[in-house]
Amino acid sequence: MAEPRMDTRMPPELLAIVERGLAPVRPIASPARRVLALLPLGLALLVAIPAFWGLRRNASELGPMVAWGLSGLQALAGLLIVGAALREAVPGRELSARAIAWTVGAALALFAGMTFLTESLVPAATPPGVFGRYAWECFWMAAASSVPVLAAAVWLAGRALPTRPALAGAIYGLGAGIIADAGVRLFCWVSSPAHVLLAHGGAILLLAATGAAAATLVERLKGRKPA
Amino acid sequence: MREANHPGDEDELVRLMVAYQAGELAAFEGLYAQLAADLRRYFQATLATRADGAAQDLVQETFLAIHRSRRTYQPGLPVRPWAFGIARNVLGRHRREAWRRSRTENRDARSGAEMAAPAAALALEPRDLAAALALLPASRREAWVLHHVHGLSFQQIAARFRIGVGAAKLRSSRAMRALRAALGVETGGAPDG
Repeated sequence: MAEPRMDTRMPPELLAIVERGLAPVRPIASPARRVLALLPLGLALLVAIPAFWGLRRNASELGPMVAWGLSGLQALAGLLIVGAALREAVPGRELSARAIAWTVGAALALFAGMTFLTESLVPAATPPGVFGRYAWECFWMAAASSVPVLAAAVWLAGRALPTRPALAGAIYGLGAGIIADAGVRLFCWVSSPAHVLLAHGGAILLLAATGAAAATLVERLKGRKPA
Repeated sequence: MREANHPGDEDELVRLMVAYQAGELAAFEGLYAQLAADLRRYFQATLATRADGAAQDLVQETFLAIHRSRRTYQPGLPVRPWAFGIARNVLGRHRREAWRRSRTENRDARSGAEMAAPAAALALEPRDLAAALALLPASRREAWVLHHVHGLSFQQIAARFRIGVGAAKLRSSRAMRALRAALGVETGGAPDG
């Protein structure tokens, strides 16, 4: 049986709405160009934490090349993750399941790898009796210092139209957390995995959750705007 | 209707999209002609229904969303994945609304007395109007009932369904047209809204 013919005439109401708001628009930049806008912010964050709080006391044992090199590498990786999230936020350019798995897996592997590498180079445990306090301080330092990058990512992704806002937000939250942790590592001299995975890793997870919530909220608020 | 399913047609879509971003209304009409049928098929397949009303409403909402988000298209990239990405976004919102509506269905149940006023305005029996309303897609019916029965403004309806004011007007207006046709009421009266 032949398929019934579809009516594809445009409703006049739709045409009227479009005609009313038909101003020329400038297309948003590509995700790669938008993430470049975050580069100065990421580098500033990397430098600001040790500049404000001081460089880790065992930095000389690591050497400046290793200490700054590893953190710089981690910050760049964080920016790439934010870039992946900005791509995810553009309709039609969503990441495949495999790309998401690779992005999240690579971020976690990088974080764990940096932790164990630093531990092997300069083993330094938390002094007795202050594990909780140190963990709490590093957790909040990493979480709070990532706010500028996270806010910028929320804004940049919100300019697009993410089909899966929670996912896009979780990915840029993860990236912002990785960038912030790169700076915190230059200040925090404790290298024991128990401290780093719990305090620094906990902050990264909090930021991923915050990013997911913020992106969802932004999309809901945008959905309420009139046409 | 010609459909863009090969590279040459995709080039044409890209050209239309760039012109639309530059402010050409004819380019929007061209995009609508090229994409509307495919979008409607997509919604019919996803909603697992041959009923045209709901799919057609979602097509209109998708084009409204495309209009609002036209700057998110990056020139040079294929238009079709971008438009269908927006359609998925619209579908997700539609499903959330449907879920929310199902929770409040009882509260929104209409009584015969509530139906009397708009029925009287159309000089009809309330039960005729109720029967004609039952034939409408849920999204149009609710927009019409909220506006004409409960007296909500289109701004309030838009906020309730988390859609644009234009989309709320569109739903109500299409419902009014369908009701007039179903009940044999002459068109050309006061505009809806």
